[in-house]
Amino acid sequence: MSNLLLLLILLPVASALVCYFVRSSAVRKLTVLGTAVVLTLASLGLLAQGTFEPIAVGSFLGISSDFLITVLDFALLGVIFYLGLKHKSLLIQGFTLAQAALLVWFEVVMLEHDAVPALMGDQLALIMVLVISIIGSLICVFAIPYMKEHEEHLHLKKSRQPRFFFYLVLFLGAMNGLVLSNNILWMYFFFEVSTLCSFMLIGHDVTEIATKNAVRALWMNALGGLAFVIGMMLVYMKAGTLDISAILAAGPQGALMITGVGFLCLAGFTKAAQVPFQSWLLGAMVAPTPVSALLHSSTMVKAGVFVVLRFAPAYVDTFLSTGVAICGAFTFVTCAALAIGQSNGKKILAYSTISNLGLIICCAGINTPLALTAAVMLIVFHAVSKSLLFLCVGTIEQAIGSRDIEDMRGLYAKLPRTALITVIGILTMLLPPFGVLMCKWMAIEAGADTNIFVITMLALGSALTVVYWARWGGSLMGSREQDTRTESQPMLTSLPLMLLCGGAIVLSLASPWIYNSMLAPWLGTAPFTVSFGSLNSTTGSFAVVPLFLALGLGVLFAAKAAAGFRKVKIMPPYLGGANSSTDGTYIGPMNGDVPFAAGNMYLGELFAEGKLTPIFNALAIALIVLMLGGAI
Amino acid sequence: MFGSFIKKSRAKSPWIMHFDCGSCNGCDIEVLACLTPLYDVERFGIINVGNPKHADVLLVTGTVNHRNKKVLKNLYDQMPEPKAVIAIGACGNTGGVFREAYNVVGGVDKIIPVDVYVPGCPAKPEAIIDGVVAGLAKFAQKVEEAE
Amino acid sequence: MDTLILVIIGLIAGPLLGGLIAGLDRRVTAWFQSRQGPPIMQAFYDVAKLFGKEKMVVNQWQILCAWVYMIAAATSLALFFAQSDLLLIFFVQAVGAVFLVMGAMATKSPYSQVGAQRELIQILAYEPVLILVFVGFYMVTGSFSLDAVWSQDMPLISKMPLLYLALGYALTIKLRKSPFDFSTSHHGHQELVKGVLTEYSGPYLALVEIAHWYETILVLGLCAIFWHTNVVWMAVLLVVTYMLEILVDNTMARMTWRWMLKRVWLLGMGLSIVNLIWLYAR
Repeated sequence: MSNLLLLLILLPVASALVCYFVRSSAVRKLTVLGTAVVLTLASLGLLAQGTFEPIAVGSFLGISSDFLITVLDFALLGVIFYLGLKHKSLLIQGFTLAQAALLVWFEVVMLEHDAVPALMGDQLALIMVLVISIIGSLICVFAIPYMKEHEEHLHLKKSRQPRFFFYLVLFLGAMNGLVLSNNILWMYFFFEVSTLCSFMLIGHDVTEIATKNAVRALWMNALGGLAFVIGMMLVYMKAGTLDISAILAAGPQGALMITGVGFLCLAGFTKAAQVPFQSWLLGAMVAPTPVSALLHSSTMVKAGVFVVLRFAPAYVDTFLSTGVAICGAFTFVTCAALAIGQSNGKKILAYSTISNLGLIICCAGINTPLALTAAVMLIVFHAVSKSLLFLCVGTIEQAIGSRDIEDMRGLYAKLPRTALITVIGILTMLLPPFGVLMCKWMAIEAGADTNIFVITMLALGSALTVVYWARWGGSLMGSREQDTRTESQPMLTSLPLMLLCGGAIVLSLASPWIYNSMLAPWLGTAPFTVSFGSLNSTTGSFAVVPLFLALGLGVLFAAKAAAGFRKVKIMPPYLGGANSSTDGTYIGPMNGDVPFAAGNMYLGELFAEGKLTPIFNALAIALIVLMLGGAI
Repeated sequence: MFGSFIKKSRAKSPWIMHFDCGSCNGCDIEVLACLTPLYDVERFGIINVGNPKHADVLLVTGTVNHRNKKVLKNLYDQMPEPKAVIAIGACGNTGGVFREAYNVVGGVDKIIPVDVYVPGCPAKPEAIIDGVVAGLAKFAQKVEEAE
Repeated sequence: MDTLILVIIGLIAGPLLGGLIAGLDRRVTAWFQSRQGPPIMQAFYDVAKLFGKEKMVVNQWQILCAWVYMIAAATSLALFFAQSDLLLIFFVQAVGAVFLVMGAMATKSPYSQVGAQRELIQILAYEPVLILVFVGFYMVTGSFSLDAVWSQDMPLISKMPLLYLALGYALTIKLRKSPFDFSTSHHGHQELVKGVLTEYSGPYLALVEIAHWYETILVLGLCAIFWHTNVVWMAVLLVVTYMLEILVDNTMARMTWRWMLKRVWLLGMGLSIVNLIWLYAR
């Protein structure tokens, strides 16, 4: 098993180095594909072996692994400080120096350097490893043809793909390390590695706006790192150990430790781009699509919510818990509202991501078994569906040259298969019986017990999500001419898309069994019993399999009825009798043809980004201050 | 069993679409009067839908000219079968006093097949209602012949 | 087994009741307007006639979406009769609503497109209110499941009066009554022709109509369980509520989405929140 762990954390590092130093694209392609396959198999193997208690990691070449991590930590801080100098950012320099100073104090003065078993694998860690390894691998595979096309489009003479794949693959190893960590210092180290990878990848295209957004991401995440260090120190002062499972087993232990955990949660908030930190994630959308799909929707930002979720037992039933729930619910509703005012496809996905991350954090804050189930399952289902949607948008953008959803109107006419997969992806984010909605259902049921603020925000947020998804899904549908063939895509593009699409559906169907095998043993008291493929509890039930059967058969029946549509009469739409020859065009003034044009209602008077963001940021800062202050 | 119920329902639920071709609006006002509580055609199940795709009966008033003949044909084509056309008023029937004008094509039947002609200038609401009822009988007949 | 029988009863009786109520609605509306109005069975004649029409579509998405709308509405009513989870019933019903909108957006018709956008805003308006009403159910009965209601001795309306008023807003929107009928309305000429339903015709319009009956019975069923203890009072409640709906429909003009959103969110959610605070305080 330690071989598997080694593979999961260190193989990506080795592959990344190969990708960087060997400049042959064929070798790079093989390396990425090979790493993808090995990581997937390794994560499945780890799952098969089951959960394991914290184990110690030995030394490398005679150097203790703890010492190695510490050295690398300071080296990393040095690199980030240097980047702060290079980009003349006082914020980065300041936060990094503060982190370094505090870390020195911590390591030299406070720490007792006991041996701490560094890695652990409970159900949460194993689920996260699966998400990172499988979805991450699919995205890396997708990136191979995508980056080739991307660089052709930019007419780059010298390929920058070695650098790109170096950071992309390295990141997978860092994430695996983060979720498997049992030693807080290790978790902190991997946390910072993901910050660096994010910076490098956002700024990959070296345009002015990419660099600016990368710097903003770096200082916000550096702030998060600083919060992490402060939190780490405060927790150690009370708990006296770096061992995470020991800290969790002890539970809430007084104001000092809870404040420390509060700072850790703040670090999670910045990493997960919660309001008021959401601007770095929105700015990160300028990066190439695989970056958005991997880092900024399914994996890195999940590290942020993972931290909040991992430490949930340490603040159960405290004011901090309520504060976290309120902050999470606030992000959930505000980012859903902001998404309504957007027409840029990637920004809609970004706001939706932040919104769902807010929901996960809210569930972690509610901190009941039901809510924690919702949080973990939402991590999984959201990662699958959101990465699918990002990859679809990337494919569409390369095909039509735009990421605005108005330009994607009637896309079914040009790119039927991609449009259909995108519609299915949207439906998996929005409707029952799929996993994301099931988790939203669980969250509302869990939130009904808490307080009026949380439940109102959850209700409002749930309603807002329908608008921006349904109108995007509807606008993709359109009429297709009889003889258009389905678009041709490289296999490494269509394979991840179809696997993720199928995965979203199959995983949703399998949710009762995922719950039974992974989540029920992880929680102390299981909130549901499974019978007839439904999740039942005293407060409510979600009939997963029956609904899948009823709605699935219904959709298949409807699709069959629709498939024979060319035998029925096809008519252009009603336009007052003034139809011109083509569908949607009509005869207008001076007998000229007026082409069809439509636009979504973005409700700008209510939901304009510029108007709402300052208000939401101010309120969010107030709520975070409230959360931390109340913990003291 | 359902088949005969469907057949019976066609006569009980004729949804009309009213189109003013080139009318002076005299006949249109009378058509509108039919929809008011005084004459109340809704008791026959008649609803004025504005959309040929939902309509069974097309009520046309006014003369057809070279500009609106395309519109009339388009609307007629966009109505799903079974459908009936009722031409209302002298102008709709034959072109009326405007028949020899340079821009007028003639009555409605120059463009689309008409099932019932309701004379008058303007036609009285009672006559229009009579015409619709007669049109329903023709409706049923048409459907029988089609089968 | 009992559940299965109830579900089958619900699936068959639902649209039949819904059609009857639609016919009665038109009859009473006509009485308000000093005229006779159509026979009570008129809704069934309409749907039967539509089934007999020629099939005509713009593209295949209308067919798909009309069928899924009806199947989802039927499934949600089946779940209601199976005494399932209220939130789940609502989300399944939302499947149908979303597909209706998507089918309308699939055509290049300005009326459909604007109607679909307005329909989405309608969903945006009533969804939070309905969710808060279900939370009210949970606060009173301790569960989101319908079968927990029967163990209550007092009628729910005694503890959730304001939530019932808020539910009235959702009912008005769902029944497509003025002032909230700007996405599409019953046989009224409107500035969008038939709005979201413009391009659905013939059998597919019939399917949409049947789905609408299912949804009507679902929301009326929700209203009915507010007085679950006594069948007579339940009937009185339903009749009074529906008459009020018809009265509001006939006396109010159609308003804009801004007015609706402001009204329903401020008043509807305000009433719900106050009632919920009462329930939290108990």
